[in-house]
Amino acid sequence: MIRFTIDGQQVEVPEGTTVLRAADQAGIYIPRLCDHPSLTPYGGCRLCIVEVEGIPTLQTSCTLQARDGMVVYTNTPKVREAREFVLTMLFSERNHFCMYCQESGGDCELQSAAYGEDMTHWPIQPNWHPYPVDASHPDFVLDHNRCVLCRRCVRACAELVGNFTLNVRDRGSKTMIIADLDVPLGESSCINCGTCVQICPTGAFIDRHSAYLGLDAEVEQTPSVCVGCSVGCGIEIATRDNHLVRVDGDWEAPVNDGLLCEVGRYQPVRDERKRIVTPLIRKDGSLQEATWDEALNLVAEKLKSLAGRGSDGIAALASTRLPAEALYFFQQLFAEGLGSEMATSTDGHAARSVIVNGQAGSLEALKTADCVIVLGEDLVKDHQVAGFFVKRALPQGTRLIVIDSGENALHELANYSLRPRPETIRDLVAGILAASKGSDPSQPDVATTSQRTGVDADTIQAVAQVIALAQNPVFVCGAGAAEAAEELAKLATSFEIPVIGLGGGANSFAAAKYGLDKAFTVNGQQAAYLALGDDNPAQDLAQQLANVPFVAVQASYVSPVTDIADVVLPVEIWAELEGHYVNLEGRVQEARRALTPPAGVRSNTEVLQALAQRLGIALDGNWLAELGLETVVA
Amino acid sequence: MKAIRAMVLVSGDPASIAQGAHEVYQRLQKEIKAFGLQDEISVSMITDVGRHDALPMVIVYPEAVIYGPVKPEDVHFLVEEHLYKGRIATRLVAPKKELSGRIAWLAARQGTLPAEQRIVLERVGLIDPDEIEEYIVHGGYEALGKALTQMTPNEVIEEITQAGLRGRGGAGFPTGLKWRFVAREKRTPKYVICNADESEPGTFKDRLILEGDPHNVIEAMVITGYAVGANEGYVYVRGEYKLAQARLRKAIAQAREMGFLGKDIFGSGFDFDITVHAGAGAYVCGEETALIESLEGKRGEPRIRPPYPTTHGLWGMPTVVNNVETLANVPAIIRHGAEWYRGFGTENSPGTKLYTILGNVNETGLIEVPMGITLREVITIYGQGMKNGAAFKMAQTGGSSGSIVPASLQDTPMDFDSYARAGVSLGSGALLICDENTCVVDLARVLMNFFRYESCGKCTPCRVGTERAHQILTRITEGRGTLADLERLEKLSQGMRQLSNCGLGQAAAVPLQSMLQHFRAEVEAHIKLHVCPAGSCPMSSRRVTTAA
Ligand SMILES: Cc1cc2nc3c(=O)[nH]c(=O)nc-3n(C[C@H](O)[C@H](O)[C@H](O)COP(=O)(O)O)c2cc1C
Ligand code: SF4
Ligand code: SF4
Ligand code: SF4
Ligand code: FES
Repeated sequence: MIRFTIDGQQVEVPEGTTVLRAADQAGIYIPRLCDHPSLTPYGGCRLCIVEVEGIPTLQTSCTLQARDGMVVYTNTPKVREAREFVLTMLFSERNHFCMYCQESGGDCELQSAAYGEDMTHWPIQPNWHPYPVDASHPDFVLDHNRCVLCRRCVRACAELVGNFTLNVRDRGSKTMIIADLDVPLGESSCINCGTCVQICPTGAFIDRHSAYLGLDAEVEQTPSVCVGCSVGCGIEIATRDNHLVRVDGDWEAPVNDGLLCEVGRYQPVRDERKRIVTPLIRKDGSLQEATWDEALNLVAEKLKSLAGRGSDGIAALASTRLPAEALYFFQQLFAEGLGSEMATSTDGHAARSVIVNGQAGSLEALKTADCVIVLGEDLVKDHQVAGFFVKRALPQGTRLIVIDSGENALHELANYSLRPRPETIRDLVAGILAASKGSDPSQPDVATTSQRTGVDADTIQAVAQVIALAQNPVFVCGAGAAEAAEELAKLATSFEIPVIGLGGGANSFAAAKYGLDKAFTVNGQQAAYLALGDDNPAQDLAQQLANVPFVAVQASYVSPVTDIADVVLPVEIWAELEGHYVNLEGRVQEARRALTPPAGVRSNTEVLQALAQRLGIALDGNWLAELGLETVVA
Repeated sequence: MKAIRAMVLVSGDPASIAQGAHEVYQRLQKEIKAFGLQDEISVSMITDVGRHDALPMVIVYPEAVIYGPVKPEDVHFLVEEHLYKGRIATRLVAPKKELSGRIAWLAARQGTLPAEQRIVLERVGLIDPDEIEEYIVHGGYEALGKALTQMTPNEVIEEITQAGLRGRGGAGFPTGLKWRFVAREKRTPKYVICNADESEPGTFKDRLILEGDPHNVIEAMVITGYAVGANEGYVYVRGEYKLAQARLRKAIAQAREMGFLGKDIFGSGFDFDITVHAGAGAYVCGEETALIESLEGKRGEPRIRPPYPTTHGLWGMPTVVNNVETLANVPAIIRHGAEWYRGFGTENSPGTKLYTILGNVNETGLIEVPMGITLREVITIYGQGMKNGAAFKMAQTGGSSGSIVPASLQDTPMDFDSYARAGVSLGSGALLICDENTCVVDLARVLMNFFRYESCGKCTPCRVGTERAHQILTRITEGRGTLADLERLEKLSQGMRQLSNCGLGQAAAVPLQSMLQHFRAEVEAHIKLHVCPAGSCPMSSRRVTTAA
């Protein structure tokens, strides 16, 4: 531990802590622009300067490591004068006309810093030279007039997202933030994750969806969890007057450290689906408004008549976007209570195969891995934030091995890209691990593996070598490699290599644990119950249900499936619900209510409970215990 | 090995070739043979002799007589007169002309100037840089042999420390100390980088060393590597220095062939090899950490320091970065010893310094003189006095990053410490001599224009400060300045000096400060009277419109 003083206050921090971070911990605010807790120190803006006893020159606190006995002052006249100088320079560099800026009034770190120094005007005239505005991107605008060239966006796109889209062009006063080799953002390699927008300290990056809709102080922030996929990123839901303003990544969240992908950040605000706010019952061929009692009674009656019947009974499907509480009720109601043989979830089967031995590898392993072996999952398309962790580590020399017979954008980035014949991933994995372990007569040799899988022997040998030499190798196993999961599980245990299973939807892990893990098929059932929540039903689901005589849907939005339903029970969407989600690591996280649902809409659990009550089926609330997690990481 | 007594160079630039340089070259070889001189005289073609008025040209060393234009039929006479009989063939001597500072110019002044002392330039202009044999004949690779076979790495460092060698890249950091910092690091691999990015306007000393005596630098790098425990070296050469790159590459290949580079040098078990890397034209890449970033393939932006390259340099490993001139001193120090070296220069700044002289003097060019001579000496002896008898007003030292030294300091010894005491800096060794007709505001504006263009743009004070300062200086030269602008300049220079991340932004403040400190009245005249005392600013047209 390092002990030193800041402004007369004793501070104790671990070795390696910068003076700026130490000051933050001590509650002393040093203005800064280019620094961000999630990024490596850069030392560019020079706003964070402090005076240190014994050092004649001013020091940038964001790059200065605290040392024992250091005496730091953050507010001497010399420091304040220097700070004002830096701010004066920045205000004079481009065109900061605060009154027209959506960040003005608290959200802009540049403006706030200036107010902090009691600045009331531009001591040097602004540039008056117009800078371009890039409005080519669907989700945000980049106004170079307000850019202070702190490079937070560039560094975030590289260091955090691993996408390396943003860059810097030219030098000196001609320096400009650019995308790729200076193409409009909308035509660039940008993947719309919005991290740059979230991290920009000024109004340079403008979020198209939330601009002028509410400053931080005017919105309510609700910490919650993204239900886009099984990664389970921590989010902050910003709402105002019961409207969704935007979704931000939660910088404090252990899973994603503030990152989100397009699915988590922009899909919710772009959502234009039609909401259902009253129960509907099909009468004379069309869906008509009904009361909750009418609708629930009708469904209960139908279900009761089919209870206990096997293949011509009830088919029941729950979305893994539902909270664990609801999934657990669903399982009790349909599988146990009504004896349905086809009670399952949308992605449970994906998770089942990858929850190896009931264990789940932690994403943390991915952040420190020096060798990542990705099987059957395109991390550029799905589970993107997990993909960020991989892509961003590549420049540091982390080796990427991709094993996928299908299309996978990671193939392009991989050190070794293996495309085994379909259905032979299992053999390939077994062969590689056997080779990396040395001679194991019980395992197939390289030549045999090569013959069987179609991957050439040299590559198998090389990959085995890389894995054997790696300090922290990690397997990432996706749905495309489900067949290999068991093999992996076995081998991973003996090699002590963590395996991260990517299980589809937000609550796939829980669904699998509750046994809702079959692939959904309809085959002669007389009724179907679909607890879709706010999910987008699979494209062919309505078709699959075409011949089922009675279809009840528990859903938030109009969809092809509600169109063919006999009864529709309207429920809450992600931002309205309360409940728990178990991510791919087995981490139990709480989703909190940020929006009040429209009158007439009920929660997923309420609906299932109401049905159970009418059917005389008792439901227990032991959803957590039933997950069978040894330790709950919350 | 041949004992060469004279060397003949033929200009081989495209224009010369068009005018028969090849024929001249062939005739020379033939005639030299005819006189039986082929073992004592070497003939080579060089790409550029530094002047283009009497092509093709033939230069004969060691006398460094420049002949031109030389036609094939003149060759017989030339060889007979000069090389056989030892008389200058006056009829063919090129017309006298002010020469730029190339190799030819240097040699022409060898021994003719009172205080000139050649350590670094010992062989420049005397040997054919493309022939390793000539380097060896002149004592080359002797120091390397001595270091590798008779000295421990520690002894090498000690010798350099004792010699008091200080970095010639601008900051004057003690070289022995720097090496010690790297030598004591446990982590390997370590690296040696020769900083040959030389991008200060008007500075071309490193170029001449590399073009004229590349083996000297190669030898020095191997010695450095041995001293600090590095096996890999990089020369980061300014992109425009094509000839220097070619000569270096050739020299490296020759050194490898001879076993001065590669595995087990001199049977000592020590391995070392060198890679040449060409820069891409950014001044800031001469700054050692930006240079390293650039070598690593990244955008050339200075890093945060600490950590310094001595502990976290190339690829995060301990790295020595030394300037070309600094390194060029090393073999001589090892060969002759620290005590010999201390015989030159001053107590705290031993050795010599290379200066490139430019501006309003009668003779411009490169000189190597002991540390501690004065500006007055430079101007009167080496510069042959001010042009047109004008009065000396100020000198800009060190390319752009030096100070504006007023005439009042022309008797201050030019060494690191005396200059530092006087509040000015030596910089990289360019001396831009300005006479009374040069306006200080205009000079500052031109310098600031360079900085604003070359700022890497990373940090606010430099990126914006240079731009704003340039704007204000331009305003003043156009007669539109105000007294508040002076205050702004004061603030800018202070802010840039105190807050910039690297030497570029800090140095950019220096000319401003010098101007305000030494020439305030002249600046105020521009503002208050709308008059440029030096008569060089475009004031007259402005005067009418703004004086009201
Ligand atoms: C903007 C800037 C440009 C520089 N350019 C050069 C250069 O071209 N050549 C050089 O040797 N040093 C240059 N330096 C100094 C180097 O950073 C470094 O101090 C030097 O190479 C160390 O070598 P020395 O100890 O032998 O002087 C520059 C420094 C700055 C701040
Ligand atoms: S949205 Fe994401 S990928 Fe696109 S530029 Fe910003 S940080 Fe990079
Ligand atoms: S766009 Fe924003 S984050 Fe990026 S450099 Fe400019 S001010 Fe910084
Ligand atoms: S001082 Fe100038 S050149 Fe140096 S880091 Fe800052 S902006 Fe770049
Ligand atoms: S916050 Fe420290 S330099 Fe920008």
